Amino acid sequence: MAAHDAPYIFLALIAPFLAAAIAPLLTRALGHWAALPLALVPAGIFAFFCRALPDVQGGQALTGGYLWVPSFNVSYSWLIDGLSLPFVLLISGICALILLYSGGYLKGHPQQGRFFSFILMFMGSMLGVVVSDSFLMLFIYWELTSITSFLLIGFDHSREASRRAAIQALVVTGGGGLALLGGLLLVWNITGVSTISLLIEYAPALKASPYYFAALLLILGGAFTKSAQFPFHFWLPNAMEAPTPVSAYLHSATMVKAGVFLLMRLQPALGDTPAWETILPVFGGVTLLAGTVIGLRQTDLKLMLAYTTVASLGLLVMMTGFGTPHALESAALYLIAHALFKGTLFMVAGAIDHEAGTRDITRLGGLWRAMPLTFAAAMLAALSMGGLPPFLGFLAKEEVYEALVGTNPRALAFTLAAVIGNGLMFALAFAVALKPFVGPQRDLPGPHHGAASVAPPSALPGISHSRGENGKAHGHHIHEAPPLMLTGPVVLALAGLAAGIFSQAFHATFSSPMTSAIAHEAREITISAVPHLSLPFALSLVTIALGVVVYFLLDRAREAAAASLEAIGWGPDQGFDQAMRGLIKGAHVITRKIQTGRLETYIMVVFIVIAATLLLPMAIFAEWPSLPVWPAEAGIHELVIFAIAVIGLFAVVRAADRLTAIVSLGIQGFAVALIYMLYGAPDLAFTQFMVETLSVVILALVMTRLDLQPSDHRHGREMVKDALIALACGAGFTLLLLRAVQVPFNTSLTEFFSQWSKIVAHGSNVVNVIIVDFRGTDTLGEIAVVTITGLVILALIRIRVGGDVKPADNDPERSA
Amino acid sequence: MAASSIPLEALEKSMVLAPVPAEHWLVIAPPVWCMLVGAILIMVRKRMGLQSWLSIPALGGLVLIDAALLAVVIREGPITMVMGRWLPPFGIAFTVDLTGALFNLACGIAALAGGIAALGDIDRTRRTYGFFPFLFLMVGGVSGAFLTGDIFNLYVWFEVLLISSFGLLILGSEREQLDGATKYAILNLIGTTLFLIAVGILYAVFGTLNMADIAAKAPTLGHDAPMMTLSLVFIAAFMMKAAAFPVNFWLPASYHTPRIVVAGLFAGLLTKVGVYALIRVMVMMFPEEGNAYSIVIGVVAVLTMLTGSLGAIAQSDIRRMLGYMVITGIGIILSGVALGAQTAISGALFYSLHSMIVMLALYLMAGIAGRMGGSFSLHELSGLYAKSPLFAALTLALFFSVSGLPPFSGFWPKAMLVKAAFDFGAWWQGAAILVSGLLTTIAATRAFALGWWRMPASGAVVPARMTAAELIPLAGLTLLSVGVGIYPEPLLALAQTAASGLLEPVAYLHSVFPSGVPTP
Amino acid sequence: MEGFMAVVVGIFFTVAIYLMLSQYIIRILLGVAILGNAVNMLLFVAGRVTREAPPIIGKGADMLPATAANPLPQALILTAIVISFSFFAFLLVLAYRAYQTLKTDDTHQMRLAEPEDAPPPPLGY
Repeated sequence: MAAHDAPYIFLALIAPFLAAAIAPLLTRALGHWAALPLALVPAGIFAFFCRALPDVQGGQALTGGYLWVPSFNVSYSWLIDGLSLPFVLLISGICALILLYSGGYLKGHPQQGRFFSFILMFMGSMLGVVVSDSFLMLFIYWELTSITSFLLIGFDHSREASRRAAIQALVVTGGGGLALLGGLLLVWNITGVSTISLLIEYAPALKASPYYFAALLLILGGAFTKSAQFPFHFWLPNAMEAPTPVSAYLHSATMVKAGVFLLMRLQPALGDTPAWETILPVFGGVTLLAGTVIGLRQTDLKLMLAYTTVASLGLLVMMTGFGTPHALESAALYLIAHALFKGTLFMVAGAIDHEAGTRDITRLGGLWRAMPLTFAAAMLAALSMGGLPPFLGFLAKEEVYEALVGTNPRALAFTLAAVIGNGLMFALAFAVALKPFVGPQRDLPGPHHGAASVAPPSALPGISHSRGENGKAHGHHIHEAPPLMLTGPVVLALAGLAAGIFSQAFHATFSSPMTSAIAHEAREITISAVPHLSLPFALSLVTIALGVVVYFLLDRAREAAAASLEAIGWGPDQGFDQAMRGLIKGAHVITRKIQTGRLETYIMVVFIVIAATLLLPMAIFAEWPSLPVWPAEAGIHELVIFAIAVIGLFAVVRAADRLTAIVSLGIQGFAVALIYMLYGAPDLAFTQFMVETLSVVILALVMTRLDLQPSDHRHGREMVKDALIALACGAGFTLLLLRAVQVPFNTSLTEFFSQWSKIVAHGSNVVNVIIVDFRGTDTLGEIAVVTITGLVILALIRIRVGGDVKPADNDPERSA
Repeated sequence: MAASSIPLEALEKSMVLAPVPAEHWLVIAPPVWCMLVGAILIMVRKRMGLQSWLSIPALGGLVLIDAALLAVVIREGPITMVMGRWLPPFGIAFTVDLTGALFNLACGIAALAGGIAALGDIDRTRRTYGFFPFLFLMVGGVSGAFLTGDIFNLYVWFEVLLISSFGLLILGSEREQLDGATKYAILNLIGTTLFLIAVGILYAVFGTLNMADIAAKAPTLGHDAPMMTLSLVFIAAFMMKAAAFPVNFWLPASYHTPRIVVAGLFAGLLTKVGVYALIRVMVMMFPEEGNAYSIVIGVVAVLTMLTGSLGAIAQSDIRRMLGYMVITGIGIILSGVALGAQTAISGALFYSLHSMIVMLALYLMAGIAGRMGGSFSLHELSGLYAKSPLFAALTLALFFSVSGLPPFSGFWPKAMLVKAAFDFGAWWQGAAILVSGLLTTIAATRAFALGWWRMPASGAVVPARMTAAELIPLAGLTLLSVGVGIYPEPLLALAQTAASGLLEPVAYLHSVFPSGVPTP
Repeated sequence: MEGFMAVVVGIFFTVAIYLMLSQYIIRILLGVAILGNAVNMLLFVAGRVTREAPPIIGKGADMLPATAANPLPQALILTAIVISFSFFAFLLVLAYRAYQTLKTDDTHQMRLAEPEDAPPPPLGY
C-alpha cells in the first residue's frame, strides 16, 4: 500500500456511508438477505486494509490525506500504523459478521433496513476515529460515533427505557466529547500543531507546559466517558436496551474501546508522567472491581456481559497507564482478545434470547442438546475470557500479570485488584457460557423470530410488545440458531483460539506493531500459549481457582453482591436521573424568575440598564461635561415657552382624568413646536404641529372608546423607585448630551448643504433639499414606514378572530 | 435638469462624476426590488393566486440578486454606490463589503424558504391583509440595513423592518398575538429609540453620518469626546435588538405567538440585524472602545448563552424552546464579538449565517410537528417518528446542527470560537460555549425523544406526509446545513476575509473615498 | 443655549420614562409620545442651536448665511417625527384592540402569551 492509494483509502473510509444510504432500499428489495451484499462492504474494507499489514509490520506508518478546511488548519488525513490497523481490521471484520448476524436476528423486522444503515454509519464513524490524524477530524468522527450509538440504542424507541438509555448515552459521551474538544483545542493551543503525527515531536513541550494537567483532564474526560470508566460507567449497562447486535458490536468490541484507543494513541504525547501513571491505573482499577462486583448481581445475560465489559475496559485503562515494562503489551493483547471473546459471548446471548425466548440465567438450562454449535462457540470464548491456555485470553492475562508483579505497594494493590477482577470475570464468563447450556432441560418460552425481542413501534397492528413471551406453548421446539447468526460467534471464537496457538505469527503481525505504535518505540512480545513456571503463571492459577469457586457459588455470590450494593444504596445511574430532573426543574425556576411575564418588570429592567449605560461610563472614564454656560441672550419669551412645555409634562403625569391628559399632551407638543420655531426650524414646527394634532386626535379617539382612567396611582415605594430610575435616565441623557455638544463641531456637512443646495440641487429651502435630494433614501424608508403602518392598522382593525370581519364600504372583500 | 446651468467646478465638488459600473447597481437592487414587489403586492392584495405567482419568483429573483452581489464583492472587494451621486460623506452611501453581502445572501435564502413555506401556512385572510407585502418590506428593510453605509439610514431601515415585523406579528389578531405584540412592540420601540439617541449623540460628536467617515475620524478624537459612554449606549441598543441578556424579554414573550413562518423568519433574521449592527459599530467603527468593552460583552455573552440554554430545557412548548435556542445562539455570537480578533469575529460571522438558516428551518419543523401532532406542547406531542420517518430524520439533523454537533454546520463556528477563546486566554468563555452546547443537546434530544420517539398512549399512529410547501424549504435548508457542515471551507474562508475587512477597513474606506478620506 | 436645552431634554426624558414605567398601557403610550418629543429635541440640540434664522437661501444669495440654523438635524428630525408618529398610531390601535380582546389595559393581567402556570416539560423521557 503506497501513497498513491490515497483515493482508495478515502473511498474505503467513505464507503460505509454510501452503503448506509442504499441499505434501506436493498432491504426492501431483498428482505433480510440484504445482509449478505451489505456485509461485502466491511469485508471488502477488511481485505483492502489487510494489504497494509506488511508495511505496518515493518514499523512504517501510512499517512496521507486531503486538504479539507485549510483556513482552519484542518486536513482530512489519516495515520495507519500498528495501533490503528488492528482496530481497522477488528471494526470492519466484526461489522461484516454483525451484519450477517443482524440479518438473522432482526429477520422480519419492518425497520431492518434502517438498522443496517445505522450499523454501517457507525462503522464508518468508528473507522474514522481510529485512522484520524487531524484533531478535529478525530473529534468529528468521535461525535459521529456518539450520534450513531444514540440512534442504535434508541432503535426500539417506543419503550421509555430505550429512550432513556439513548439520551443517557448521548449526554454522557457527548458531554465527554465536548471535554475532549476542549482538551484537543488546548493541546493545539499549547503546541501549535493540530495533527497527531506531528504532536509526537512536541511531546516534551506539552508535558512541560503549565496547562498539561488541564489538557490531560479534559482529554481523559472524553476517554473515560466513552470507555465507561467509573463513575461514568452507568450508561453502558443501560445501553443494553439496544438490540443485541448493537451490544455485541458497539458496546463491547468497538465503540467503547474508542476511549482506550485515544489513550493509547496519545500515550507518547501525554503519557509517562506522574499524573498519567496515577490517574489511569486508579480509575481503571476501581472500574475493574466495580464492574465485576455489580456484574455478579445480574441475572440478565446481557447485563452480566455488559458489566464485565466495564470491568475489562477498566483493566485496559489500568494497563495503559501503568507504566511498567509489559504494561502496554498487555493492554494491546487484552484489547484484541476482549474484542474477540466478548463479541462472541454477546452474539451467543442474543442467539439464546432469540431461540429460547429469555435471557434470564435463573431460568435457562439444558440448551446444549438443542444448540450445540452455539454452545461450542460460547465455550471457546469463555475459555479465552477466563484466561486458559492455549487461548489468546491466556496470553493477555499472563502479560498483564507480568506487567503488574513487583514488590512495591502500588504493584501489590493493583495486582490484587487484577486477580480479584479476573477471577470474578472467569466466573461470569462461564456463567454466561455454561449455565444456560448444561443441566436439565427447562421450561422455556420458545423461539420468537425478529419481531418480539425488538418490538417495533406499533405502526403495524397485531405485534405484541411483551418481551420474552410470545404466547406460544412452553417448551416449544428450540432449535439451533440460523447460519447467519452462527457465523459470527464461531469465527470470532476460533480466531481467539487460533491467535493463541499461532502466537508467534500473531505477535509479529498484530500485537508487537501495535505496542510499538503505542509506545512510540520498537517493542516485541514473546509470550506464547505454552505456560511456563513463573509468578505470573502462579497468579493465573490463583485467578482460575478463584473463578471456579465463585462459579460454583454463583447464587450466593449474587446475593452477597446484591446485599452490599443495596447497602450502598445510591449509584451514578440514579444520580443521572436526579441530575436531569434537577436540571429541568432548576432551569424552570430560573427561567421563570428571569422571564416574569410582566411587561412592567421588563420595561423597568431595560431602563435600569439604560441608566447604568449612561452614568457608569461617564463616572468610570471621567466623561463628565463641564459646567454649561447660561445663555447670554436668553429672551423671556424663550424661557416662558420652555416653562410651558415643562408644565405640560407634569400635567400629563398628574392628570386625573382623560381630558386633562389629552390636553396636557397637546400643550407640551405645541410648546415643543414653538421651541422649534424659535430656533430657526419652521418646517419642523409645522410638522410638529400637525403630528401633535393628529396624535391628540387619535389618542382621544382611543381613550374615549375604552373605559380607562389615564392616571395610575402608584404607591409610595413604587413611585419613588420609578422616579429614581426616570431621574437617573434623564440625568444621564442630559449629561451625555451636554458632553457631546461640548466637542468642537464638525460643520463640513452643514457647509456642503448650504453651499450646493441652490447651485446644484436648485432648491432654496435647504431642509427640504436634504429630505428630498441629499438624503432622499431616508425619506423613501420613512414613506415605506407610513404605508406599512396604514396596512398594519387596517389588518388590526379588520381581522377579528371568530370571523366577524365587518367589511367597510370600500373593502375589496365586500361583495358588490 | 439643465446641467449646463451648473458650473462644472460645482459639480465636481459636490457629486460623483465617474460613471457607475453596471454591476454596482446590485448594491441598491435588493431593497429596491423588495419595495417594488411589495408595492405591487399591496395593489393585488385581493388576488390570491397572483400573490403566490408573484411572490415566490420574486423571492427567487432576490436570491439571485444577492448571490450576484456577493460574487461581485468577492471579486472586487467592497463596492460603494452613493444615492443621488452626491459626494460621500454628504450623501447617503450604500457600501457593501463581504460581511454585508454574506448576511444579505443568507437573508435572501431565508426569505425564499419562508415564502415557500408560507404558501402552506398562511391562510386567505392573512394574505388579503398583507402578509406578502409585509414580508417583502421586512426583507427589504433587513437588506437595506445590511447594505447601507450611513448610520442614520441604518436607523431608518431598522424602523422599516420593525414596523413590517409588527404587521406580520399581529396578522390574524389572535389573542396571544395581541398580547405578545404589545410587549414586542413596546420593548423594541425602546430599543430603536435608544439607537436613535445614540445616533444623535454620534452626530453631535462627529458631525457626519457616513460610517466610513466615522471610522476614519474615530481614532483622532481621543479624549475630546465621550466615546466610551457613546459606545456603551450603542452596545445597549444593539443588545436589545439582538436579544442579549438581560434585555431580551421581548423574544420569549412574543416569538411563539404568530404563525410559524413568521416566527421562523423573525428568529432567522431580526436578531441577526442587531448582531450585524453591533459588529459594524463596535468592530469597524469604534474598535478601541470595542476592545475596552470586551469584558462587558463577554460577560453578557456568557450569561445569554447559559440563560438561553437553561431556558430551552425549561420549556414544554417547542416554539418557546426554539426561542430560547435563538437566544443561546446570540450569546455564542456575542462571545466571538467580545474576543475581537480575526479568528473570533470570523467564527461569529459564520455562526450568524448558520443560525439564520438553521433557526428558520427549526421553526418550520416545529410548524410541521404542530400540524402533524396536533399540539406544540411536549406533554401532548408524540409519535411523530412513526408518522413520518423522513420528517424525523430532518428534525434530528436540525437538532444536532443547532447543538453544534458535527457533521452539521453548527460545529465549525463553535470550534472556531472555542479555539479563539482559548487562544486569547478567555477560558471561561470557551467553557461556557461547550457547556451551553451540552445543555442545548439535552434540550433537543429530550424534545426529540418525547415528541418523536415516544408513542401516544393510544398506541395507534396514522402515517402522515409533509406537503410540498412544507418539505421543500425544510429539506433545502437542512441540506444546506449538512453541506456546509461537510464542506465548510468556502464559507469559512469568506468569513475570515470578511472579518479581516472589518478589523482593518482599509478597503471599505477606499471604496467610499477613492481619493482619501476628507479632513475637516 | 445648548446647556439649558439639554436640561429641558433631560426633563422630557424623565417624565417620559416615568410614564413608561407604569403598569397601564395607556400611560405607557403617553410616555411613548413624550419620549418621541424628547428624542427629537435631543437631535435638535445635538446639531447645535442658533437663533431664529431658518436655513432658507434668500432670493439673491447662493448660500446660507453663517447664522442660519443647521439644516441637517432638522431633516433628520422630520424623518424621526413621522416615523415615531406612525409607531405611536400603531401602538394606540394595538392597545385598543388588545383592550377589546383581553378586556384589560393592566399589564399585570396580560398573561396570555406567558401564562403564570406554565408547567415544566415532562420529567421523564
